[in-house]
Amino acid sequence: MTTGWKKALAQLHGQGGRRFWRGLDELADSPDFRKALATEFPGLASLDWQRRDVLRAFGASLALAGLAGCEANPDDRAMPYVVDPEHLVPGHPQLYATAISFAGIAQPVLGVTNVGRPTKLEGNPDHPASRGATDAFTQAALLDLYDPERSQVPRQSGIPIDWDSLDARLAAQAAILDATQGEGFRLLTGATTSPTLLRQIDLLFARWPAARWDVFEPVDDSALHAATRAAFGRRLDVMPLLDRAHATIAFDADPLGPGPYQVLNSLRWSGRRRAFQQGDGRADLLVAEPSPTLTGGRSLDRLVAEPSRIRALVEALARIFGVTREAPALTTKEAQWVERAAKILAASKGRGLVLVGSEQPAETQALGWAIDEKLGNLSVTSQFSEPLRPSPDSDPEQALNALITDMAAGRVNMLAILDANPVYASRQGPAFAAALHKVELSLHAGLWHDETGHACRWHAPLAHGLESWSDGRAADGTAVIGQPLVRPFYTVRPVHTMLAAIGGAFGISDHDLVQQTWTETWGTLQPNWNQTLVKGIAPEPPRVALQPPPVRLLPSVAFARPTGLELLVRPDPTIWDGRLANNPWAQEQPKPVTTLTWDNAVLIAPALAAEHDLADGDEVRLSSDGVSVTGAVWVMPGQASNTVLVHRGYGRRFGEVAHDAGFDVAPLMDQRSVTLTPTGKRRKLAAAQEEHAIDGTDLVRVVDYLDTAPKPPKKPAPSFWEDKPLTRPNWGMSIDLDLCTGCGACVTACNAENNIPMVGREEVRNGRRMHWLRVDRYYEGDPADPKLHVQPVPCMHCEDAPCEMGCPVNAAVHSPEGLNLQVYNRCVGTRTCSSFCPYKVRRFNWADYTGGAPESMKAQRNPNVTVRARGVMEKCTYCIQRISAARIAAKVADHPIADGAVTTACQQVCPTAAISFGDIADPAAEVVKRKASPRNYTLLEEANTRPRTSYSARIGKERGDG
Amino acid sequence: MAEEEALRQVYDIVGEEIVDLPLAFPARRGWWLCFSGALALLALWFVSVIVLFSNGVAVWGNTIPVNWGMAIINYVWFLGIGHAGTLISALLLISDRNWRNSLNRFAEAMTLCAVVCAGLYPILHLGRPWFFYWIAPYFNSMHVWPQFKSPLTWDFFAVLTYLIVSLFFWYLGILPDLASARDRAKSRGYQVFFGIISLGWRGDASHWARWRQAYAITAAIAVPLVVSVHSEISLLFSAGPIPGWNSTVFPPYFVLGAAFSGFAVVGIIAIAMRAALPLQALVTLRHLDMLGLATLATGMMTAYGYFSEVFDALYAGGQELATLNDRLCGHYAWSYWGAVILNFIPLQLLWWRRYRRSPRILLAVSLSVAVGMWMERFMLVVTSLYRDWLVSSYGHYMPSFWDWSLFAGMGGIFLVPFLLFVRFLPAISASETKDEIHEEATDG
Repeated sequence: MTTGWKKALAQLHGQGGRRFWRGLDELADSPDFRKALATEFPGLASLDWQRRDVLRAFGASLALAGLAGCEANPDDRAMPYVVDPEHLVPGHPQLYATAISFAGIAQPVLGVTNVGRPTKLEGNPDHPASRGATDAFTQAALLDLYDPERSQVPRQSGIPIDWDSLDARLAAQAAILDATQGEGFRLLTGATTSPTLLRQIDLLFARWPAARWDVFEPVDDSALHAATRAAFGRRLDVMPLLDRAHATIAFDADPLGPGPYQVLNSLRWSGRRRAFQQGDGRADLLVAEPSPTLTGGRSLDRLVAEPSRIRALVEALARIFGVTREAPALTTKEAQWVERAAKILAASKGRGLVLVGSEQPAETQALGWAIDEKLGNLSVTSQFSEPLRPSPDSDPEQALNALITDMAAGRVNMLAILDANPVYASRQGPAFAAALHKVELSLHAGLWHDETGHACRWHAPLAHGLESWSDGRAADGTAVIGQPLVRPFYTVRPVHTMLAAIGGAFGISDHDLVQQTWTETWGTLQPNWNQTLVKGIAPEPPRVALQPPPVRLLPSVAFARPTGLELLVRPDPTIWDGRLANNPWAQEQPKPVTTLTWDNAVLIAPALAAEHDLADGDEVRLSSDGVSVTGAVWVMPGQASNTVLVHRGYGRRFGEVAHDAGFDVAPLMDQRSVTLTPTGKRRKLAAAQEEHAIDGTDLVRVVDYLDTAPKPPKKPAPSFWEDKPLTRPNWGMSIDLDLCTGCGACVTACNAENNIPMVGREEVRNGRRMHWLRVDRYYEGDPADPKLHVQPVPCMHCEDAPCEMGCPVNAAVHSPEGLNLQVYNRCVGTRTCSSFCPYKVRRFNWADYTGGAPESMKAQRNPNVTVRARGVMEKCTYCIQRISAARIAAKVADHPIADGAVTTACQQVCPTAAISFGDIADPAAEVVKRKASPRNYTLLEEANTRPRTSYSARIGKERGDG
Repeated sequence: MAEEEALRQVYDIVGEEIVDLPLAFPARRGWWLCFSGALALLALWFVSVIVLFSNGVAVWGNTIPVNWGMAIINYVWFLGIGHAGTLISALLLISDRNWRNSLNRFAEAMTLCAVVCAGLYPILHLGRPWFFYWIAPYFNSMHVWPQFKSPLTWDFFAVLTYLIVSLFFWYLGILPDLASARDRAKSRGYQVFFGIISLGWRGDASHWARWRQAYAITAAIAVPLVVSVHSEISLLFSAGPIPGWNSTVFPPYFVLGAAFSGFAVVGIIAIAMRAALPLQALVTLRHLDMLGLATLATGMMTAYGYFSEVFDALYAGGQELATLNDRLCGHYAWSYWGAVILNFIPLQLLWWRRYRRSPRILLAVSLSVAVGMWMERFMLVVTSLYRDWLVSSYGHYMPSFWDWSLFAGMGGIFLVPFLLFVRFLPAISASETKDEIHEEATDG
């Protein structure tokens, strides 16, 4: 940098008179200067500087000082959803149909931008894989865009460089590879469904036939593919069609649990469940699993089963239907459960579904399909298709090992890692990092300069999915095009441009690459292109559902029960394989089953805890085969007592947010059994909820199906206060506990919508988390085998609210529309309202949680919601900003607010539509119908606060069920 | 004649003992020792408050659900202590119990100091303490008034009224003695100081007549205030729909508990002053006896409050019973049993006159009651909130370092003015004591 300046100055000194004055332009134009500029101010380097530009930039930087210098306008080629860009009105958010990729699967969303800043992702209501819903991952993905630790410049050996240096190196390498047909070039990508990326890869490898492409995705479908290859002769994706399944028997499978298919599965499951509620057929679900999952929580009868027992259970079920002759020995409890499963399956013949988790051995999975085949279910309740996420390798684990061997042997000249983090996320991470040293040109391109970025010689920063053009396939296989919501904040490159650069082609825009792909698909670009951008679904010839060939039953491999404790390694429910580890929303999102935040833990059964005298937070060492990890214990009711469950994604070695959380389970990743030794130390775990047992309470009500006949309404208990007349509109909410799976998407959606600050592990431990909406998790009955319940709890907006009575300064007041309001600028912080609140939904700003947020994060905030200062109370407002927007729109159109015109953020995101919100004074409103259901009840009725949020009881016993 | 002469001599001695105390303070070293300790605590208070104000309430241990913690516990505790002074003085003045005269002055001063401490706590407790005045009704351009249904609004009025009336009452009482001190003062500084604050008192018969009227009226105002202020404080809890709070027994229970702790603290101070200053002839064993009796009586009434609370819970069942269970056997059972044991077990010694007249025993019992009543307040606030209604919102409370440091610092706020009072003002009512001696002499 300094040498560049010095040289330029020296050059100037050499000039005389008039030449000197003209010299400034030349100074700015010299290659040295450009290089210096690129290193120091990467954001400026890409611009072609003219005098006018400089002046304009000066003016703009003053004007945009508050935006932290972001270049925050949407790409002008992007098509806004419904609203035309010409009609941009400040204060009116614009919606763009786009998609964000999660583990390669596109999640169709509408990106909400406020004056150029993406502030929220909503599910795309027109897309069949979303119907307006998203999962918690997608909600949290928005915050990654604003992560101040995102990589902003290319690096060589960790030192910032400019793109030109990197490009020069890539160009030189491409020339060499052209000469050698790509000999020694290896490409490693994360899983992808992007037609454009796949097309680019095809083109690249057509040019360099000697090169090789591998996919590394930490949590992939390879186990499922191995099983389908064994059972059907080819790799296939199998999607459960839960909307058609009247009876589902799940063995160690969690279709409703977190993952890229969660939204679609939940949508389908809730469709069936809702039909069942209205008397159409059945929706029986039986689950046998080693540790509680969301699916297990919704089941009619949940059997606690060690992973190694699943095989026997499936065999026993198969035997009943004559699929196999094996007769495994079962305990009485197991036998009863299997019998019930058989009864249920038989009752819904042709509409049943047997789901065997893909971590089970291939022969067990094949047996499950065989049962379905026998009962005529297979092509009805399962959908078979070509793998959505294509992979060049049938065994990615082996392929990765082969790559490491090749690298270590010096057979790899160039390795480009695109959006993958094998150094952290694979078991062979250390070996991979060591082998990287042998690679002449190792390049990592990613959103962060992460573990793999550090291990590679070169690093290139990628653009976030919301900053770039791309495409992909949603969980149901439909293609979507992702358009940017905003121009890149930094001089980062979209993944398509980066791959083109690896091939030696520079300056090709992602927009053009994506357009080329679709021009090829459609033959002509328009009008499909514009329609796709507006609607969010790329039209394609309909995908023909594959008719699965007959199931080939596999010989039962003799399979010894593991000697020690059975180990399960699963992706983390909130940060997945670690990709969301640097995301505070994801970290502070309570894990759906344990309610832990900011940490993973060694989940053990109460019986095992008692045996080793362990309590929550006690540290243990899990060892097997000479490798070990240490982590804190969490006692998990309902877990099989011989099973230990750990989650991946923690123990990251980079990132302010990520680095001090949890422990890395990579060394144990392919172990099946472990021994457990307490270390005597303790780690303070931060659980969002301390106690979970609700025996003897009616907080979560469960009714029999037969009990759903209407009952006369109860007479309200006497009150001091007079009843106010119900003027229109008057808001209320109803939450169906029969539909809620407890996924927690609502919690993250609420964070994004309402500018809720994250407080960190210590403060969560102190009971100071700020979530306005929480999902309570309860266990009922024997801790070894409890019933699992979930209950989302927003503010109840009580009609006789104790908080309003307690506040001395009129900061908690009731609105004419029935909302229980909190006036932040009047609040002095006596906290009486919270003391008096029976539901403890109020949140207090104990410290300044918002002022110290990184500048970039502040740009995410919803401009329509006040950011709360230190010392004031806050709570759920029923998304009052959305009510106001609807009221204004209704006034402009001069009609009353229509039912459904206001959706709260939690309601909108819910994949099962468990939440209904509307005008309770409108007899036609959906929420009124729900509240009229005999399943309707209010929480803590005895407190006589008359809540406006009510619940619909769970249906515990199904029709015709003993 | 000789009798009168003797009486006059006694008056002089009383005058010397009390009024001359500030002028020729006997225990200067001891006082300075205490005072520097108190100043150190005051410094700690300032540090704690600066830390609190610069970081917010987060420095304390409060959480959701226990979002009231030490601040409210200590507020109620200090206010309880602040009860005895005015109660002793005013109630006994009205009922013409003359033995009060040796105790009332410093008991009242103690009240003032305690009420100041109590009054500071709710302000420090606020999330935004700089807006504390929003709780007061005042004309403002926004036309926003306090919310009059809130017990906190009435708390504000109650404490403020109590502080003002107590101040008047104390000042009225001390006025004749200030004049007496002025007359006896030898140094110019003391003469001017006492001259100004005695407001031109000359001992005129008309002065005395007016004074008696004013004093009696103020006392008559103060007595109902004693009852109302703590009844009002109890509404802070009993108005909320929280099991363990929502009970009609709270107002009398709180008033009695307050008087109980107040008498105990008066006992502590009386014994300490008696030991430190030559006041044995004035604060006699009879006074200790009386204090002991008052402590015993209010203590047993408080015990009845405990009993009726338990009965209520057993009768009500449900959440109330669950809260009782939490109190008796929960995580904070130490605070319940600590309160029961410290408040009522040593107290039983006071049934015997022998122990009531033993300063050491009375001191031990009084200290035990002071600590026990603190535990009671801890129990009331914490055990009700930490497991209130929803299982999901159960939580814990652990006071932080800054909670404790502020509490210790409050000791400075209490002691510094009190020690200044002991040092510079007549700590026992000389005029009334003389009056009492006169009456006894003439009656005899």
